[in-house]
Order: sequence, then structure tokens, then C-alpha cells
Amino acid sequence: MNFAENNRISHRQLYRQMILAFTAPFLLCLFGEERLLGKAGILGLAVGLILLLVYVIFLIRLGNSCTDLNKSAGPFWGRMIGLLFVVYVIFTGAYLLAVLEEIVPESLLTGVPGLWISFFAVLCCSLGTHKGMQRRGRMGEVSGGILLLGIFAMMALCLGQSRISYLQEMLQAPFSKEEIFGSSYFLLCAFSGLGMLPFILENVTQRATVGKTVAGGILTLCGMILGMLFLLPAVFGWERLKAESYPVLPLLAGADLPGNVLARFDVLWMAFLLYSLLFAIGSLLHYGHQVIRQAHFGTGRFWMPVAMFLLSAIKVNGAGIKTYYGSYLAYVHVPLLLGAQVFLLLGKKGKGKKKALAAAAVCFLPLCLLGCAGVEPEKRMYPLALGVDWKNEQFLVSYGMPDLPAATGQEKEEEGQTSALLTLEGKDFAQIEQAYRRSQEKYLDMGHLEVLILGEELSERAQIGELLSYLKKEVFVGENLYVFQAGSPGEVMSWQGGNGTSVGEYLTGIMENRMSGQHRKGVTLRELYHGWYEKQQLMKLPKIQVQGERLEILE
Amino acid sequence: MEEKRISESLRENEAYIRDRLKNCADVLIRPMKLGAEEKINCLMIYIEVAVSNMMLDDSAIGKMINHFWEISPEQIPEFIQNNSLGIADGKRLETMQEVVAALFAGNAVFFVDGYDRALKISSKGYPGMGVSEAETEKVLRGSKEGFSDSVKINSALVRKRLRDTRFKVVEHQIGTRSHTMLQLLYMEDLVQEELLERVQERLDAYEVDGILDSGMLEQLTEDSWISPFPQYQTTERPDRAAQELLNGKIVLLCDNSPSALILPSSFNGFMESSEDWYHRFEMASFLRGLRYLALFSATLLPGLYLAMIRFHTQILPTNLILSFAEAREGVPFSSVTELLFLELSFELIREAGVRIPGSLGNAIGIVGGLIIGQAAVSANLVSPIVVMIVALTALGSMAIPNEEFAAAFRLLKYLFLFLGGYLGIFGMVLGGYLTVAHLSGLLSFGMPYLLPFIRTEGRNAAGERILRVPFRKRKDRPLYAKKEESLRLKRRENP
Repeated sequence: MNFAENNRISHRQLYRQMILAFTAPFLLCLFGEERLLGKAGILGLAVGLILLLVYVIFLIRLGNSCTDLNKSAGPFWGRMIGLLFVVYVIFTGAYLLAVLEEIVPESLLTGVPGLWISFFAVLCCSLGTHKGMQRRGRMGEVSGGILLLGIFAMMALCLGQSRISYLQEMLQAPFSKEEIFGSSYFLLCAFSGLGMLPFILENVTQRATVGKTVAGGILTLCGMILGMLFLLPAVFGWERLKAESYPVLPLLAGADLPGNVLARFDVLWMAFLLYSLLFAIGSLLHYGHQVIRQAHFGTGRFWMPVAMFLLSAIKVNGAGIKTYYGSYLAYVHVPLLLGAQVFLLLGKKGKGKKKALAAAAVCFLPLCLLGCAGVEPEKRMYPLALGVDWKNEQFLVSYGMPDLPAATGQEKEEEGQTSALLTLEGKDFAQIEQAYRRSQEKYLDMGHLEVLILGEELSERAQIGELLSYLKKEVFVGENLYVFQAGSPGEVMSWQGGNGTSVGEYLTGIMENRMSGQHRKGVTLRELYHGWYEKQQLMKLPKIQVQGERLEILE
Repeated sequence: MEEKRISESLRENEAYIRDRLKNCADVLIRPMKLGAEEKINCLMIYIEVAVSNMMLDDSAIGKMINHFWEISPEQIPEFIQNNSLGIADGKRLETMQEVVAALFAGNAVFFVDGYDRALKISSKGYPGMGVSEAETEKVLRGSKEGFSDSVKINSALVRKRLRDTRFKVVEHQIGTRSHTMLQLLYMEDLVQEELLERVQERLDAYEVDGILDSGMLEQLTEDSWISPFPQYQTTERPDRAAQELLNGKIVLLCDNSPSALILPSSFNGFMESSEDWYHRFEMASFLRGLRYLALFSATLLPGLYLAMIRFHTQILPTNLILSFAEAREGVPFSSVTELLFLELSFELIREAGVRIPGSLGNAIGIVGGLIIGQAAVSANLVSPIVVMIVALTALGSMAIPNEEFAAAFRLLKYLFLFLGGYLGIFGMVLGGYLTVAHLSGLLSFGMPYLLPFIRTEGRNAAGERILRVPFRKRKDRPLYAKKEESLRLKRRENP
């Protein structure tokens, strides 16, 4: 046949694999580090890009030396170099698993243990990693374009939330030469996965021109990073951005999809990132297997994923691979990698499948039997409004719930309007959560919160910081909800509108159901965060009060 | 089996035949005395129902009797040698193995004493359904003819559409006991020789006792037996088969099966309907897009629903999630169990509908859909929204043109249902990753299954993607055909 079974991938497949494998790790891990942020980050990116393009030329010249490491470096050094890459693969895989283990339970699946998440991930990614280059290439080709399109579309949708004034904060921040060089080296470390390129080159068609493709991949990825370097501060503001560990995760928490088809779509954003992360782990396993073969270590099909998983799970005094990975990359791997590659250039002279499936089935079964984590929709409580005040040295929190039959248009005439109000108090939010768990049968789902009403007393106290930290931790709370101030949040929360309208719906309606030009200027939670991170102060909030039977927003 | 030549002695031949066909009551062995003074001993063997008596009496035997009256017994062998009894469809056989094969293929075999050959008198063969409408691939526009159970009729239906000497039909026999006839159809100048060789190799790779349908052949010769995805495309439509032959593919016909196998196959090929090329390109493209949407719905909808209501309620508009919550009030089962229960009920209804004959089968569908669904909702066994999800999923799977392909996604649906139900969007992404990984590794006779989404260098696979190109722009054949024959359409310079 004129294609298919020559175990070679096309340039397009290589390019898309690069995009798929690097996108999520970069987006998730680069911006949580202050080293690649701000003007220093942008300039460092430019310097790093030049160095990377030079490095690509070097790697392509190195190509033949990695076909058989024993031949090009001798049996001892060949194995040592092979070991260097194998360690890198295991460490990087474990690091990505640790990231997955951290972000999925926090941002996506509450209640599922992180260890299970990384176990399932490594299990899926390790299936079929030994099955030749073409399979990997085709995976990249089929899904790489969709991912790239999705990421850019999501970034474009975020543009609507950005503010020039926020961006100016970043531009005004000072920086030094050392920071630029630090950013460049950080970028080189991030791209250290490219060091495995020589192992792949023998399986790429038209090898003479592969440099252009790799350079194209690097330029696309750097373009994406550059876009994010502007977008993130423009959406979050400079101070908040520096305080976030994974700033891309809440990036879409306040974005709206045209047509209101979905209330929020940050879950889709997460889905794109997760797919890319899984592909990165799968690629590490696949190319790790290739390195092991070329260094004559046998096969890593089974032990490599196990080693990755164990390393991601092991924690000594609370510190795991995530703590050490940065130092390993910067001080150990990258210098050794460059040294080894210079050395190589200068010295240039079926049955298994069944078992795996059975194991996978056995692993999935307990999860189904445990029935873990998911909570049915009728067993959740959906507060649409949250009132918080500070009274008698305690937080007073009121949750305004909708009346289900009224909200869904299924109420009977004789039924009264019974929007529920739940009030809890406690010294901190941990106590309030405990009180909720003690007294309420339903799971508290804060994902549909529409308004936040702060008491005047609370607004003037330092405890407001505690509230904001609590809301920040509740990742399901959208950042596009409106924030108001009231003399007595309890009174506002117990207000009953006509037709069973809840406070949340009513206030959101006042803010949004207006013709263009008549819109009121509200304050969203995202803006509130920005003001808090910037000046440690609460910004001026619109006030609301109950006037007879009406609820009014005062200017 | 050792080859035995036909003897000049009719008695010896008859003894051999009677011995081989002992206890075969369906085979008729009719000794005859023909010619002037009834001096010529002859023997006619045929399968009772397979050979029409009318044909034998009025045509072959009638002609023989007429001829044999006119000539002397010594001239008979020479007469048969030169004239084949004067019937158009006769063939001389030299060995007893050929005789038995011809007999079981549904022909009559004629022996004459003193002549060391037998004569095959072709018949229409075994009784069959004849040409009828393709039941599983109904179209609004285009031929209504469908393949029948007879391989000969099927190849003739294709030949009717491709009246060209470059259209080749090669016969094979498979099955040591069934001796099933296979026909390999291809366009000589379009097909890639390597593909042809590979198909022949696969057909010869196994020795099996019997092949009773093309489905058995498919499972025996496909690349990955563990995959739920079909690696051969099947069709019951001769026009579709002819279209694929023009694309450089091979069509495999199996006797006793109305389904032709098309190879190599691709993901997108399963999503195409034969009338796609008969409709205008805008509508055809829209319909193809709709089918992809149906595929998405048939596979992912239940899983996504569970992921959203169990884990990611924030993604849904508030009123919608409140409606879901209200609808589920009083349902005693978890949403996973509820959905699984209804999905399995639907599968049961579908299976019952297929097995129950005629119009009663359709009635079962209505009873299942309306009454059982409504009753389940009223009894608070399931919520109304779940009935809707299952209905949309079922509609999606029915909109996929190829039943086997749809079945693969019906199975996948359960995997996604569990993953979405227990791991939310993370589970759905895991499932998506595994599916893409599996499909990427799948080959159909050496061709990547994901063609044409995998672009190969320098070849234009026009019209093969989701959007159908206008007919006038469909200038190139897809890359299954030989490179030098890739041009399909050109404008005449001097019309």
C-alpha cells in the first residue's frame, strides 16, 4: 500500500502531536509560576524562542545518533543517556499525574479521590503505547486540530471579560534583566520534552524538512503562551494573577456563551485541557517505550506506568513530585540533557492485551460498585442568593433557595410561595459548613449562585477577606455573579417577590433585563476579587433595600 | 481428495456417483436410454429442487432427444464434443470432483456411455428470494433494487451497472464442507494490486468447515477481531457496490448472503448513504453533518446527561437543572440505574421488534415507546427527561446509515454512560481518549480506518469528508484507487 504500514508519521502528524502534548501542561503549569508572567515573561519568551529555534537545528543534526544509543555512545554511556531520558519520562509523567490529581478533584469532581483519578488516567494512557508511531500520529492528527481550534475559541470568548485597565497594571509593574533570563531558562525547561525529538526523527517522513514543522509547532505554542500572557492579566488583574496557582482554570468561570445555551462552559474548557493532559501522559509513555527500546533496556510497557503512578502518589512530609519537579528540571535534567546531546553530537561515529483488558475491567468495577461522588439533582440544594453579614463576632450566612415547583412552572394554585431561606452562623466558614452538614439532608450546590449580598457591618471588617477566600475555594461559584451591599442582608434575603421569584432571580433580572444603554452597572465577583487582590480593599458596591413590597437597587 | 477422472464406462461412473451420493435423497439420478432404438445409455444427475424440471424437459433433454434420434451411437461423443448438446450454457467436465461441485452448485450433470466427459447443464440454481428492495438501506432517490441471496444474481446486478471489460469477477470457494462460492469484484485498472493480493491471502489464510453468510467471512478476515467497529462496509445495494468499485475498492460477494462486503472501509464511509451522490451537494452535506450529530447523540448523550446532573450542574441554566431536579423527585433509583434501566428496556424493545414478524414488530415499537415509557414515568420508575434522553439516543443511532457501525456506537454508549455517571466530564474525556486511540490504531486492509480525516500526502480525497463536494468538482478518485487512475471527471475539450 502506498501508506499506512511503514511506521512513519507525516509532518502534519508531528506538528499536531506537539500541539496536543504541550498545550495543557503549558497552560496549566507555566502561569502559576511568577517567573513567566508580566513584561519579564514576554521578553523572556522572545529570547527563549530564539534559543529554542537554534536548539531545534541542533536536535535535527543529532537525529542519527539516537537511533541506537549503544552504537553512537558505546554500551555504558548509551545506557546512561537512555537512563537520563527514562528518568525524565517517569518524573514528567508523575508530575503531570500529580497535577491531574490536584486539579480534577478541586475543579471538576468533588468527592472522587485524586489517587483514583491519576490511576484511571495512567491506566487509559498506558493502553497500546507500544503500538507503533502511526497510531500516535493519527491520534494527534485527528484531535490536534480540534483541540487547537477549541483552545483559541475559548481564548477568544474570554476576550469579552478583559479590561485594559487590568492590563495596564501588569505593564506598570517593574522587572529586571535577571527576571528575563530566568523566564527564558524557564521556557527552555518547559520545552525540554523536545529533547526526545531525535528518537522520533527516524520515523518521520521527509526528514530533511522536519525542522520547519517543529519550528512551526514551537511558534504556535509560543503564540498561545504569548496570548495567555496578555489575556490572563487582562481578565484577572496583575495582583490576583500572581496569587493564583492555576490561573487558566477560573479563566472561563465568568464567561457567557452566546444564546445562553449553557449557563457556564468552563467545564468544556477543562475537558479540552484534560484531553491534552492525557495525550501528554500517553505520549510520554509511548516515546519512553521507544527510548527504552533504543537504549536496549527491554520493554517499559508495564513497569513505566506503574513507576509513574507510584511516584505521583508518594509524598514525604506532604511534599511529592510537584515540589521537586521544578528543581529537578532546572538543575538536573536540562543541564544533563544538553551535556548528553553535545556528547552524542561530538562522538558521532495479544495475550498481553487480554490481561490488560481484564485488569481494566477489574479496576473499573469497584468504582461502579462504590457509586462514588455523584449526587442526584433532586438531592441538591441550589442557593441562588447568598447573604453574608457579621453579627456578634460571628458570620451570619443566609442561603436563598428557589421554590422548585414555582421555579419549574409546576406549582399548584393552592400552594403558597415558599422560597426557602436557610440561615446559619459560625465563627468561620468551616463551622458554617459543619452546621450545614449537621442539619441539612441535601448537598449544597453553589454552582447556580446568582447574587451575593454583603452586610454593611461585614464590608467594613477584615473578615471580608475570609469570605473571599472561602468563595475562591468554592470553584463551582461562578465569577460573573453580582455583588450587592445591604444594611441587613437577612431582611433582603427573606423578601418574597410576586410569582415566587427569588431574590437571586429578581436582582439578576434588574441588572440584565434592560435594553442596551439602560443596563445598570453592577459589580461582579471577579471585579471584587480584583479590587481585593490589588488594594486589599472592598470596592464600592451597589446598595439594595426593601421598600415596602419592592426590592430596590440604590445607585 | 484424490482426483478421479470420468471414465468412458457409464456403469463405472454411475457406481461411483451412487456411492458418493449414498443417502442423499435430494439428489436425483436418472438413467435414460436415448437415440434411435433407445440404444444410447445416458445418466442425468441433479438436485431435485435446484434444477427446474421445465428446463430439463423442454430445453436440454428435449434438444438431446431430438439430436440423438438423428445420429448413430458412434457419433454421439463427437457430437457432444463439438456442439455441447446444442445448448448455450453447457460446460464439459473432466473429473468427478468437478461433477460433484457442479451438481451442488445447483446444475444438472449429464453423462453418456462411451464418452469420458460429463456435461454441466446450467440451471438457475437453488431456490432463492430473487431481486427485492434493499430493506436496510432505503433511499428516496435512486434504484430500489437490492441484492438477493444468490451470488450470481448479485454480480449480475453490479455488471448491469458497470458494463465494462475492466470490471472483473473472480470466483473463490471457501469452506471445506459448505463450499460456499465467493466472488471478488473489482475494476482491474483502478484497484491497487497489493490490496487485491492481500485480500486473496486473507481468504486463503483459514480453513473453515462452512461459511454461511458474509458476516462470518468478515469476522474471519478482518484486521482486528477484538474491535467492536466493523472493518468491512456492508451494503445491500448494487448501486452502492458499483460506486465503491469506481472508487477503486473491492467488493466481496458471498453466496447465500444479500450483504456485499466493501473493502477497505473507513469511518466516514459508514456515515455515507448511497443517495448522498444523487442529492444536491448542499442537502447531502447537511445530511452528512446531521448524521455526525446523530452519532454524537447516540454515543455521548446519556453519559453527558449523567455527568451534568451528577457532577457539573453549574453548566446547565438554573431553570433547567431545577426542572431536572423536580422531575426526579420521587424516583427511587439513582440516575445511572434509571438511565441504564430505560436504555436496556429500549434495547429489549428493539430486539423484540426485529424478531416479531411483520407489522406486529412495528406495533411493538410503538407500544414500547409510548405505553411502557409513559407507564414508567407515571409509576415514578423513571423521570420524563430520561425518556427524552433515551429517545434522542435511539433516534441518533437509527440515523446512522450502517447498522453494524451504529451497533458499535450503541455498545460504546454504555461505556460512556458509566464513565460520565461515575467520573463526570473527566470520565467522558477518558472515554474519548480511549476511543480516539483505538480508532487511530485500527486498519482496514492496511488502510487507516480514520481516512480521510487522516490526510495523506499529495492525494485529493474529494467528496469523502463530511461535506460533499459539488458533483462537477468531484474530479479525483479517493486514494483507494491507483494513483495513475485518480482522475474521475474532466470536461471534454470539444463536446
